[in-house]
Order: sequence, then C-alpha cells, then structure tokens
Amino acid sequence: MMTDAEVTACVARGRAGDEEAILELFHYMYPHIAKLVHANLPAKESAEDLVQQVCIKVMRNLNQFSGKAPFLHWVSRIAVNTCLNQIRHERHRPEVRMADLSEEAAGAVERLTVSPDAFDSSESYIARELVEKLLAGLRPPDRLLMRLMYLEGHSIEEISNLTGWSRTLVKVRAFRARSQLRQRYTLLMKKKL
Amino acid sequence: MNRIDEQLNRLFQAAAQARPEMELTPPYGMETRVLAAWREGTPFHLWDTSLLIRGLVLAGLIMGISLWPLMNQSTDPFSDYLQLADSTIQVDNAP
Repeated sequence: MMTDAEVTACVARGRAGDEEAILELFHYMYPHIAKLVHANLPAKESAEDLVQQVCIKVMRNLNQFSGKAPFLHWVSRIAVNTCLNQIRHERHRPEVRMADLSEEAAGAVERLTVSPDAFDSSESYIARELVEKLLAGLRPPDRLLMRLMYLEGHSIEEISNLTGWSRTLVKVRAFRARSQLRQRYTLLMKKKL
Repeated sequence: MNRIDEQLNRLFQAAAQARPEMELTPPYGMETRVLAAWREGTPFHLWDTSLLIRGLVLAGLIMGISLWPLMNQSTDPFSDYLQLADSTIQVDNAP
C-alpha cells in the first residue's frame, strides 16, 4: 500500500515519462478499479476490457490529476464514468418473472415475505441474484446509482463526487429508482401469490 | 417504512455481503498492454501539444511584430494628412 506522498511522487515521475512509476501506479490502482468495474458492470465478459480501458485512460490523463483529492478518488471517478458510458448502451428489461429466478432465489423470495430473518450470510449470493434481476429493469444510470448506494454503501456525497452529478440529482434519481424497485418487487410478489 | 421497504432493505443488506469473486491481480498481458498504450499515447500527445502551443505563440508574435507598424500607420489620421499634403505639393510643384 502506498502513502499519499508516495503516490504523488509516483504521479510526478509518471508525468515525466518514467515507465517504472507508471507500472507502480498500475499495480496500485488495479484492485480498486477491478472492484468498481466488477461491481457496476454485470456483463462480466466485458469487465476485463473495461478495466484495461480505465487504466489506460488514467495513465494518459495523469496531467489532469490536480492532487486536490486523493489519487484513488480521481481514479474512481474515471472508472465510474467509464462504466456509466458503457452501461448506457445496455438495455433494461421491463419486468422480473419468477421463471427467470433460480429455484433458490424463488424460494428465498417466498421466505422473505413470511420471515423477517430471511437471508442469512450463507444465502447472500441468492439475494444478490435477486437484486441483480430487480436492478436489471432500471435505467442504466439508476441501476449504477442503486448499486453504489445499497450494495457498495456509498453516501450521497461520495456518489456525487464519483459521478459528477449534483447532490440534488443523486437524491432525485435515488428516490425515483427506489420507487421503481418497489413497484417491481411488489409486482413480483403479486405474481407469486 | 412499509413492509415492502423493509423487505427490500433486508434484500440489499444480504446482497451487499455477497462480493463477486474476482482476481485482484491483473490478468496476464494487461500490464504490457497498458504500458504500450501509455507509450503510444502520452509522449506523442505531450510533445504534440507543447509543440503546437509553442508554434502558435511564435506565429502570433511574428504576426504582431510585422503588423504593428502597419496598424500604427493606418490608425494615425495625422500621417494621412501629411501624406496628402506631401503629394499635393509634389503635384503642384511639378513642371
């Protein structure tokens, strides 16, 4: 793990054309970018390409890093915006059907309606599957916002910094996306009953 | 908070615990590709931009210096009168 001072020195060397510095930065930021891209891009087949694209973007734009915010914040912003551009082209599905869910997920939905303690830690992957299905129906920017907010645990302020959206826009989008999720979930429940 | 919201919150909390499995080390070859792309892009880009800016500044300076006397001359109305008077005298005094 590099300290802020080491990162700043590395960025300065990278700007001057030092290849070793570029490699150090690459290894430092790779896990961070990979986590962000994997969390926000469900289509895993293009995740690796996207991670590489983000890394190249960062390296080529080192001159634009002002140093006011930590390096990884700046990198995160580039990663999130690249993901956003990528998922804008993805389509969203109008509804979730029980038939689309795996047997475990369908069973989990049933338990969720009757038991408040549904989903222990061993079932988190089933919950994830269900959440991904629900999110798939949202508009791509709303989907990304819901992931950042509820799955990654970012605050409104952090999301605003990552996406470049104003805090008001983040709140409005979150409210709208949450309402849509509620509707989709209610619909799923009704179909089940 | 209604029942649906509670259920959704529980669902999200559970889903957040499930971290997709992934390698935190770069895949084979990515390091080389990134480095190659950086080599291709940055030095040329930097050189290109700085040269372009220097060229534009130099061209602007040369233009400014060369146009300065002309602009000075054309904006000075007194020099026009002097030229007119001079040519009139020359024409009048011509044999």
